[in-house]
Amino acid sequence: MKRSQATSADRWLIVVFLAPTTAFMVLLLWYPFLQGVWMSLFRWPFLGTPEWRGVQNYVDFMAADYFWVALKSTFIYSLSTLFQLGLALTAALVLNQPFIRLQNLWRGVMLMAYAMPPVVVGAIWLFLLDPGLGMVTHYLLAWGIIAEPIYWFSDGVWARWVITLVATWTFWPFMFLILLSALQAIPGSLYELGEIYGANLWQRFIHITLPHIKGAILVVVILRLAFNLAKIEQPFQLTGGGPGYETSILSVLVYRFAFMSGDFGMAFTVGIFLVVFTSVLIFPFAYLYQRQFKPTL
Amino acid sequence: MALRDDRSTPTQRFVTYAALTLLLSQVMIPFGYVFVTAFKTPGEVFEVTWLPEEWSLEAWRDVFVVNEFHINLYNSLIAGIGSAVLALLISVPGAYVFARKRFPGREILFYLIVGTLIFPFILLIVPITITWIQVGLYNTIVGLWLAFQIFAVPYSIWILRGYFARLPRSLEECAMVYGCTQFQAFYKVILPQAKPVIISVMFLSFLLGWNDFLFSNMLTTGDGPRTASVAIYVASAGGERIEWEVMMVMTLITGIPPVILYILAQKHLSKTFSV
Repeated sequence: MKRSQATSADRWLIVVFLAPTTAFMVLLLWYPFLQGVWMSLFRWPFLGTPEWRGVQNYVDFMAADYFWVALKSTFIYSLSTLFQLGLALTAALVLNQPFIRLQNLWRGVMLMAYAMPPVVVGAIWLFLLDPGLGMVTHYLLAWGIIAEPIYWFSDGVWARWVITLVATWTFWPFMFLILLSALQAIPGSLYELGEIYGANLWQRFIHITLPHIKGAILVVVILRLAFNLAKIEQPFQLTGGGPGYETSILSVLVYRFAFMSGDFGMAFTVGIFLVVFTSVLIFPFAYLYQRQFKPTL
Repeated sequence: MALRDDRSTPTQRFVTYAALTLLLSQVMIPFGYVFVTAFKTPGEVFEVTWLPEEWSLEAWRDVFVVNEFHINLYNSLIAGIGSAVLALLISVPGAYVFARKRFPGREILFYLIVGTLIFPFILLIVPITITWIQVGLYNTIVGLWLAFQIFAVPYSIWILRGYFARLPRSLEECAMVYGCTQFQAFYKVILPQAKPVIISVMFLSFLLGWNDFLFSNMLTTGDGPRTASVAIYVASAGGERIEWEVMMVMTLITGIPPVILYILAQKHLSKTFSV
């Protein structure tokens, strides 16, 4: 198609329409980011005078005894993305079956936890997992699976998995919704063709379904990896990052330093590590996506 | 869906229904118990029962009379509405231009904004808090609205741009043949076509404000615009003294509106995300 030369009216529209977006980008994204990098070179109290430290915050953080603990927790927490994908894919395949009735109702039920504020879901699990009066402990005891109550939130090993699984339970419907849309967009005739050529259920899944939803899978994995590592209200609420630093995933540490100890320089220092960690995790998936789909603007 | 013939075998059906039952029960059992608890008396909360001996509305009364939770709900509502309005004002014009106009620096600008989606936005809490204190936005509702945009705008631009780009290329040209100016072509022809995606963006950024905890908690204090999420967090940090039946009422009141909104918006959302 022939593209006409941009007229001056066109140019005005572009400038006017871009103004709010650009102002937003500068004032709310990149200026604060650079300001944060600057702050990370100081001991920067909530109220009070900053004191220059150079790279000392970075050195201190890497030397801290909780550095590796935090990295390990962050890694375990990020596995939640994998569990979410498993649940979401299963649910999407189930609901995409033509013989399932009331599809919309079930879809509505399944996304309940995701629609609610994460703090609401966190409060619910705080109650259900309470060692004294919680439903989970009650049934595990009653059925003889455990002999005495488990302190889910204060036992280091359990606490890590509890926050990971609660995150899984809360956020899987995001992937589910997008994967279901992708599945529903696959033309039914492809499956018929597959059947004519004698492909069994598994072969049809591998050769028809999977290639069609691969792009959607990569996108949701990338987004969820990033979102999960930043959406930390639940770990903050359930364990507060403890016991010790056992559940202090990097973003909880950012929040702990900023909100609880009021050490803003250190908080942003940890944030920089979080940016690096997230980028490293996302890179392989982004690379795969870029190579295969070459998103064009 | 109706177009596809159903050739499933009985085994396939059985496995599918079994999986559906499991998936639904892992959602329904916890929520069911929360619902029941909200109608228990304080004494009965300590027993794991599915049918309260007497259905009590005491907790519901306490939530409003003692905790004055309606104030927090109102703050959440205002936070959500402002978040949605601002997100639309900032991102709709920008996304339109990104999708349908050509200009130098378009790609780099687009990636500088949307690339921040995979950025752990929580770390911007650090400089934003300090700046908000300096400029007087700390502990104000406007401060919250602006802070929510850190996530809302990149997400909205990403969704909107995809949708605008899928509309036929000739729409504006046709409009201008009929005498519309550039701007009229945008708001008389493109905007009505983009109704599903605009509703989706409005809905998602409203929920962002309604559901947020991290920014709302960091940027407000007890005597500021404290939202429902923050109030629930404060209540849940009470340790031994938590009144669980009251808390479960709060979770229901705060959690159910977003679910209803999701169901109402589902039609538009599926149009938006069917890429």
